[in-house]
Amino acid sequence: MTKMAHDSTLTDQPQWQKLSPIAIAYFAAKGIKVVANNILYLIPALAFSYSSIAQNSQIWIPAILVLLSLITTFSVLSYIFYQYRLFNQQVEIRSGILFKKYVNLPFSKIQNVTLEQPFYYRLLDCCCVELDTAGSFKQEAKIVALPLSYAEIVKREILKYAQDTQNNNETEPSIDAIDSAEKVINTRSINDLIIHGITNNRVWIIVGAMAPFYETLLDKVVSVLESAGIDLKQLFDSQTHALWQMILLGISILVLVMFCMALISVAGSIAVFYRFTLSKLDDRYIRRSGLITLQEVSMRLSRLQLVVKKQDWLDLLLKRINLELRQNNSGVVHQNEMANSNKIVVPSVNSAQCEEIVNDALPTNQLASISFSPISKRFILRQIIVLIAPICLLCLGLFYLRQADTLLLCIVYSALASSLIYCRWRRWGFAIDDEFIYIRKGLFGVDYYCFPIYKVQQTEFMQSALMKARHLASVKMILASGPLTLPFVPENIAIQFIDRTLFKVESDQRSWM
Amino acid sequence: MAFTNHNIRLDELPRLNTLSMQSLSEKYRPINLLITATIIGILLAIVTIAHFQTMIAIPAHLHDYYPFGMLVIAIVGVLMMTHGYFSDGVKCYAVREHDISFSSGLFFRKIVSQPITRIQHVEIKRGPIERAANLATLQVFSAGGIMHTFEIPGLEHQVALDLRQFLLTHKDLQKND
Repeated sequence: MTKMAHDSTLTDQPQWQKLSPIAIAYFAAKGIKVVANNILYLIPALAFSYSSIAQNSQIWIPAILVLLSLITTFSVLSYIFYQYRLFNQQVEIRSGILFKKYVNLPFSKIQNVTLEQPFYYRLLDCCCVELDTAGSFKQEAKIVALPLSYAEIVKREILKYAQDTQNNNETEPSIDAIDSAEKVINTRSINDLIIHGITNNRVWIIVGAMAPFYETLLDKVVSVLESAGIDLKQLFDSQTHALWQMILLGISILVLVMFCMALISVAGSIAVFYRFTLSKLDDRYIRRSGLITLQEVSMRLSRLQLVVKKQDWLDLLLKRINLELRQNNSGVVHQNEMANSNKIVVPSVNSAQCEEIVNDALPTNQLASISFSPISKRFILRQIIVLIAPICLLCLGLFYLRQADTLLLCIVYSALASSLIYCRWRRWGFAIDDEFIYIRKGLFGVDYYCFPIYKVQQTEFMQSALMKARHLASVKMILASGPLTLPFVPENIAIQFIDRTLFKVESDQRSWM
Repeated sequence: MAFTNHNIRLDELPRLNTLSMQSLSEKYRPINLLITATIIGILLAIVTIAHFQTMIAIPAHLHDYYPFGMLVIAIVGVLMMTHGYFSDGVKCYAVREHDISFSSGLFFRKIVSQPITRIQHVEIKRGPIERAANLATLQVFSAGGIMHTFEIPGLEHQVALDLRQFLLTHKDLQKND
C-alpha cells in the first residue's frame, strides 16, 4: 500500500520538472532528421552550383560546423525550455524555443500510453512516454525522456486512472496484482522471425533506412567488383557470349539478388520483431518488440475494430498467418509504419495460435469454421471489360495494321490477365452471422477480414445501371479502421447485409470504442 | 454482458428499399445548372479572347483549332448540364428514427446510410452562392474518417438547421457522452 501511495504522490507534484539530460541526444537526433529531410530540397541548388562548390571544397568545413553548432544549440535550448509536470490528474508539457507550446492533457482523455526506447537511451535507462488520445481529442503529447522506472509508474498511474473512471464501482486492484495479471499470449522465436522475413518482404525496413547511401553503395560495389577483375561491361556484352550464356547469367544474378533480398528481409524482420511478445493486461493488448529501438504498443480491447488474417502465397505453403488487430485509423498518421499504434501485427503465427488470439479478441467468432459464399461471376466479366478490353482494342487499333505480333501479344496479355481475374474472383467470399461479418479476398494469397457488426460507422449500397439489370449490387462497410468493400453480390443479399448492419448498430447499446 | 443469441426474422428488419425519400430544394438543380453554364461560358470567353487578342503571339496552327475547340467545350458543357439535370433530379434523402440516408447517382446509384448513434459531429456548410440562394449543405462526421463524411447538399437553410437540431438532440447521440 505504501508503494502505491508513493507512486501516486510521484505522479502528483505541483512543481515543474526537467527531463533527463539524455533528452539533448533526442533533440539532436530530431534536429538531424529535420536537416536530412530538408537537404532533399537543397539538392537541386547544390547540383546547380556544383562546379563553384567543387572549386572551393573547403567551404564544406565551415558549413558543416555551422550546421552542427546550430543543431547543438537547438538541442540544448530545447532541453532547457522543456518542462513537464503531472499534477491534478493532468499531464502538462511546456516546450518550444521561439514558438512556445503548452500541452494540457487530462488523464481521462488518454487512451494509450506507449513507451519507446531509442537505442541511445539504453545507456541511461530512459525512455519516451507517448500519450495517445486516439484522435478523439486534438492534442497529442510525448514526454521526451524519463527514467524507465519512473515512466513505468507514470504509465501505470495514467492507465489506472483511465480504468477507474470507467468502472468506478469495482474495487481497485493493487498494483502488484496488475503486474502479475499481465498474461503473455504469444511470443515469437528467431525461427518464426526468419520465416516471417522470407515470406514477407520486409526489405523496405532496411532499404528505407539506407536510402541516402544508394549511389555511394553502388559505386562501391562496382569498384570492388572491378578491383576483383570482374568487368561488368564485358560480362554483359552480348557479342562475346551466346544467348544461353546470357540467360543463364541473368537467372543466376536474379537468384543471387533474390537471396540477398531475402537475407535483408530477414534482418528487417528481426530488427522490428526481435523478442516479440503479445500480452494481455486486463482489457488491453500490449505488443513489445524491437532489436535496436524497443517498441511498446498497447491497445484497448474495446478499441479493436477489425481482425485481419493475411496469408501470402508463401505463407500458404508454410501454413503461416500474419495476424493484424486494427483499431481506429483516424488519429495521427505515423511516419514509421511499424511504429504505427493503429494496429498490432503478430507475425507468422500458425493457425492454432492465430485462432487462439482471434478467439480471445473476438469471442464467439466463427472465422475458422464459417463457410464463405462466392460473389457473382459477373465480377469476372466486369473486370475483363474494364481491365483488358480497352488496352487490347487500343493496341489492335493502333498497331494491328503494321504488326501482326500485336495480336499475339494481346492474346497472351488477355489470357494472363483473365486468369489473374479468375483467381481474384475465386478468392472473394463473404459470410455473416449474428455478431460478425466475414470477408475473404486475395489473389495468390488470401486475406480474411472479420469485424463485429455493431462497430460499423456507416454503410454504402452501390449499384450501376448494368448491375441493376442483373439484380447485383456492391456493399461498402465503413469502420473506424477504414472501409471494406464487398463487390457484386446479389441485390437482395446486399440489402439484407445493410439492413442487418443498421439494425445491429442502432439496437445494440455498445459503443464502438 | 450476458451472451444472447436471439433469432432475427429477416423480414421484420427495417428495410433499406422501403425508405421514404425526400427531395432536395427545388432551387438546387437550376442553381447547379447555372454554375455549370457560367463555367462553360467563362471557358468559351477565355478561348475567344485568346483567339482575337493581338497582344500575345499564339502559334498560327493553334488558331486553326479555334472552331474545333469551341465545339468541344460546348458539347462537353451540354453533356455535363444534361447529366447534371438528370442526376440532380434523383438525389434524395431519408430520415428514419435511428439513421439518415442519402441516395444519388444516375448510372451508378449509391445509398449512404449513417446511423445516428455513430455521429461524432454535425456541420452546416454554406458557400457564397448557397447563401445567396438560402441553401445549405449538411455534413455529418463519423469515425469513418474525412473521406466518408456523410453529406446532403441543396437543403433549404431552415431544413438543414432543423435536421442538425434533430441529430444533435437525438437520444442515440446523447447517450454517447
